[in-house]
Amino acid sequence: MPEAKELQYADIHRDVVRSIVETGPKYYITLGTAIFVTLLCFFFPWFYQLYYGIGAAGLNHPQVWGTYLASFIFWIGLSHSGTLLSCVLHLTNSSWRKAMYRSAEAMTLFSLVVAFTFVMVHLGRPWFIHWSLPYPNQMEMWPNFRSPLLFDVMAITTYLTGSAIFIYMGSIPDFAAVRDRTIGWRNTMYTLLSLGWRGTDREWHRLHWAYTFLAVLIIPLAVSVHSIVSWDFALSIVPALHQTIFAPYFVVGAIYSGTAGIVTVMFILRKYMDFGQYITKVHFDNLGKLLLVLSLIWTYINMVELFTGWYSGASTEHEALQYKLFGYYAPLYWEMILFCAVAPLLCISKRFRTSFVPMLILSIAVNIGMYTERFLIVGTSLSRQYLPDAWGLYVPSLVELSIILGSFALFSTFFLIFVKIFPSVSMYEVKETMSTPKTEPEAPPEGNPA
Amino acid sequence: MTNFAAGIFHGPESALAAAGTLKGAGYTTPELMSPVPIEGVEEVLGEKKSVIKTFTLMGGILGGTFGFLLAAGTAVLYLHPTGGRPIITIPPFLIITYEMTILFGILFTVLGFFISARLPVIRERVYLPESAVDKFVVTVACADDEHFKRAEAILRDAGAEQVREVTEEA
Repeated sequence: MPEAKELQYADIHRDVVRSIVETGPKYYITLGTAIFVTLLCFFFPWFYQLYYGIGAAGLNHPQVWGTYLASFIFWIGLSHSGTLLSCVLHLTNSSWRKAMYRSAEAMTLFSLVVAFTFVMVHLGRPWFIHWSLPYPNQMEMWPNFRSPLLFDVMAITTYLTGSAIFIYMGSIPDFAAVRDRTIGWRNTMYTLLSLGWRGTDREWHRLHWAYTFLAVLIIPLAVSVHSIVSWDFALSIVPALHQTIFAPYFVVGAIYSGTAGIVTVMFILRKYMDFGQYITKVHFDNLGKLLLVLSLIWTYINMVELFTGWYSGASTEHEALQYKLFGYYAPLYWEMILFCAVAPLLCISKRFRTSFVPMLILSIAVNIGMYTERFLIVGTSLSRQYLPDAWGLYVPSLVELSIILGSFALFSTFFLIFVKIFPSVSMYEVKETMSTPKTEPEAPPEGNPA
Repeated sequence: MTNFAAGIFHGPESALAAAGTLKGAGYTTPELMSPVPIEGVEEVLGEKKSVIKTFTLMGGILGGTFGFLLAAGTAVLYLHPTGGRPIITIPPFLIITYEMTILFGILFTVLGFFISARLPVIRERVYLPESAVDKFVVTVACADDEHFKRAEAILRDAGAEQVREVTEEA
């Protein structure tokens, strides 16, 4: 059997530039569909809701928080593995990160943007969003910085800024490499984006340190972001939400769903962007191990949550527990347990972890389970508070369901545009994992006059 | 206008060796251009120091101070007493302080990177596009022809595939 040709620096360069400049009809059809679904399922229902009022969303007393906030937590959670995982793996010098981190970081960025749109959708009057910012105004009012909602504004703004800077900084050398191979408007765009990068020893040295400092800053930031999102709920006094375990619970859940999201994105990139040589079984194997560990931690925290609720001895907590496990929404709870606690145990098998399609199915199942988890946190708590006369059921309206569907199309639109602008595999870091070009060109065999 | 000798190498080891020899021969510190960071540059060309960490630290301190003053200052400007608790409440304000420490730390790190890496470039500088793909380039400033010839000989001896004379506008 002939040996596979060893990849050279020029090969990765060619493949990545090709993925940017060569665009077939399939891409345009996919992008067109994504934009169409976004307009139809996301923006149209949103405008409908703005016109008719927030009642169109099916939110009413006692359930004033619904799928919009569940979706907000879900997308913030999905954002967590990209930049966070990339930072941790950068600091621990894990070479398997290098082929996949750029797309994972993009996932972070676009998930955050989609999460932000859910805040806008949830607000009855999104045109007053600037009221949450501290600026001098004629009313002489300032935001209340004791509120977890203001913690959220500060944390998410910081995380969005940090993630955007992190992905951009890491891409500067690749923008320069693409700049030299493009013409016309692309060349102008990459010239501006690369800032005149030349790849000198000074520039590499500075980039290394700046990138490392950013990684060190972003890790505690990412942990704080989802802790703060959890406090939106845990700092209320609603039974089943008022729990100290919520911050680690949310952080672990976020990394868990984010890792599953990376598996999905890697599968799609591998299959449709022709990156099979760079995104290999090794990546799926390692991501599978990570999923397994995270699922175990997540399961443990769920058990702690149940135990502390029961051990509290408070009747309201017992009622909330009973409702969660056996009430109206119980099928969703057990679906979540099946998808997020039981199914990932398949990752114990290496054969499973290195099989692409089963891993894709598992990653989607985990994220369905994690969306359910967020819905249950929001949906089963407010509907069952202290007084029975304030109890109520909540079922999402068609407007809400449509906007959830549309948000996935919105994310896909961002991602499809990203893969045509950013090199979706980090060229210079993949090159680092290859053997360097030979010092001397190979000499012709002896006796050969050539 | 400055003239440079640019040697194009196939691998990092020979490029690094050439840079070391040029430095030893009395040339101003040569510059290496490469598609990937090269290990061992500091051993050959001397230790590199950057101001980035100072920027990060200053950004963090400034951000932390700003964050706390923002939360505490606005609380004093718009008094909102709740159950006799203090107006300046430390635990929630520490969260704002923490977030602003990180935000300013990040922004100042980027600023430090741009200043110390001399980016963005505002004038043309010596650059060979091959160095972004798979070649390793060593450039060194040459005062005159004799300097250039000597540099060319050193670069060729070290195994350069090609040596070019390139000019940088002042």
